[in-house]
Amino acid sequence: MEEISDKFHWLRGRVPRAILTVVVGGVMISLPLLIGKSWLSITIEMLIMALAACSLNLMLGYTGMVSFGPAGLYAVGAYTTAILLAKAGMNIVPSMVAAPIMAAIIGWAVGWICVRRTQVYFALLTLAFSQIIWTVIFEWYAVTGGDDGISSIPTPDFFFSLVNSYYFCLVLVSLCIFIIWKIVNSPFGRTLQAIRENPSRVEFIGVNVKRYQLAAFVLSSLFLGVAGSLYCVFSGSAFPDYAHWTKSTDMLVMCLLGGIYNFSGPIVGTAIYTILTKTISKHTMQWNLILGVIIVLLVLLMRNGVMGFLSQKLFRSK
Amino acid sequence: MLLQAKALLKSFGGLMAVYDVDLQVNTNEIVSIIGPNGAGKSTVFNLITGHIPLDKGTIFFKDKEITRLAPHEISRLGIGRSFQKLNIFPRLSTFQNVQVALFSATGLNRSLFSSAKKLLTEKVQDILESVGLADKAERPGGLLAHGDQKRLEIGIALALNPELLLLDEPTQGMSAAETAQTTELIHRLSKERGIGLALVEHDMKVVFSISDKIYVMHQGMIIFCGTPEEVRRNEEVQRVYLGKDKNSAAQS
Repeated sequence: MEEISDKFHWLRGRVPRAILTVVVGGVMISLPLLIGKSWLSITIEMLIMALAACSLNLMLGYTGMVSFGPAGLYAVGAYTTAILLAKAGMNIVPSMVAAPIMAAIIGWAVGWICVRRTQVYFALLTLAFSQIIWTVIFEWYAVTGGDDGISSIPTPDFFFSLVNSYYFCLVLVSLCIFIIWKIVNSPFGRTLQAIRENPSRVEFIGVNVKRYQLAAFVLSSLFLGVAGSLYCVFSGSAFPDYAHWTKSTDMLVMCLLGGIYNFSGPIVGTAIYTILTKTISKHTMQWNLILGVIIVLLVLLMRNGVMGFLSQKLFRSK
Repeated sequence: MLLQAKALLKSFGGLMAVYDVDLQVNTNEIVSIIGPNGAGKSTVFNLITGHIPLDKGTIFFKDKEITRLAPHEISRLGIGRSFQKLNIFPRLSTFQNVQVALFSATGLNRSLFSSAKKLLTEKVQDILESVGLADKAERPGGLLAHGDQKRLEIGIALALNPELLLLDEPTQGMSAAETAQTTELIHRLSKERGIGLALVEHDMKVVFSISDKIYVMHQGMIIFCGTPEEVRRNEEVQRVYLGKDKNSAAQS
């Protein structure tokens, strides 16, 4: 850190970080008073996707594993909660607790096979498995409702209020993101980063690379399961689309846009992506085209994403 | 006997890369493997650390057979290594490079929720000091100068508290001053820590000044083994490797 000599270095200390946390926290808590219903609902979606993107980034940015299948595990979470609530008539708490467990179990089975290959083959395997999950959801009418999905899920009255839903999501998402933050800053997380940097070297410091990659896969699946479950409860429905590969690429774009080497990258990326999508689509039918151009420009101009770009500009360090 | 490799054999396709190689390293001993490019020196290292599977032969480390073990298991037993090509964790800081190896050595890397920042800092600092990088602790490893990265590699290997250290061309690409520093470091490691060291090295000045024993390899085989003095006097070695012009071999 001795090389930081510019005028923004004071932004790095504990105090500014605490101030930033208080300000962001304050804004998030008072948000229902500040914005209208439709934007509040968008913010809830944003929170849930931010958790999904952070979960993905545990693999993508921290372990260097490019997965094209996070949506599959997200959908496992959503459908677990949906089926338990709507078909099994279970209570909300066990229905939600079961989601990450189920996602972690499926993630373990899928990951166990995927980590046998690396790089592009790994990516292909994750894509293949998420398509399998999608197909199962799509075809298994008796349990998943097939292409009709599961709608009007009997969620508790508590969630009928948008403000309640918002606070519920805010608390749960913050808690999960805090846990992910603890994980990436632990010795375990540092080992994941070393694997990202140089997987073959890590073997020679006595690390079983595949086992750690699998652990990252399972942890990522677990939190994706939480995100899926939250979205199911918030929207009161579950559809095969949740598992579709385009959902996975959405998550990837959010991570890349914000910056995969910064912890807050996926969160910022999700916010930018969601706000862009919603505002542009209000004005034109061709919003996909405009969004595409903006993303291409952002990626070209800002290496390592928006947060990577900012931290480099402000602190001149990686 | 710290390391005992017997009758190692490895072929790549039709090419016999390593043929009937015996290698022994004792505690406190500095052993060098020399030979022309393509003689199979690095392959021998790769066979010992499990990077490449053996075709034939056996390897014992402290009387335990390690022939078929995986690289991470072998390194956990106490064999560290550095690589010919730079091989560090470029985006991690110099400090973190060593720290992550220490996490592995202590089993701390299974800890999911403790904060990595303040763990083992003294030990990391010790190692950085012994390889001469204490003042560059916060710099990303990838931004260090070539010689510093080479020494950082040794630091990473040291973090595992190895009893045997395999160094693949530790002074390659270094300036004269850096080479002297590194030679001194290698000497010190053997003296102070009692580590058995095996080097692949092209700089004959380094080899002859620090080795207790030298293996000469040629076309996959060990053609001679002896003390520096014996190697210097041997005619076959003169012919295939040291050649008429000593300096050209030293510079390659």
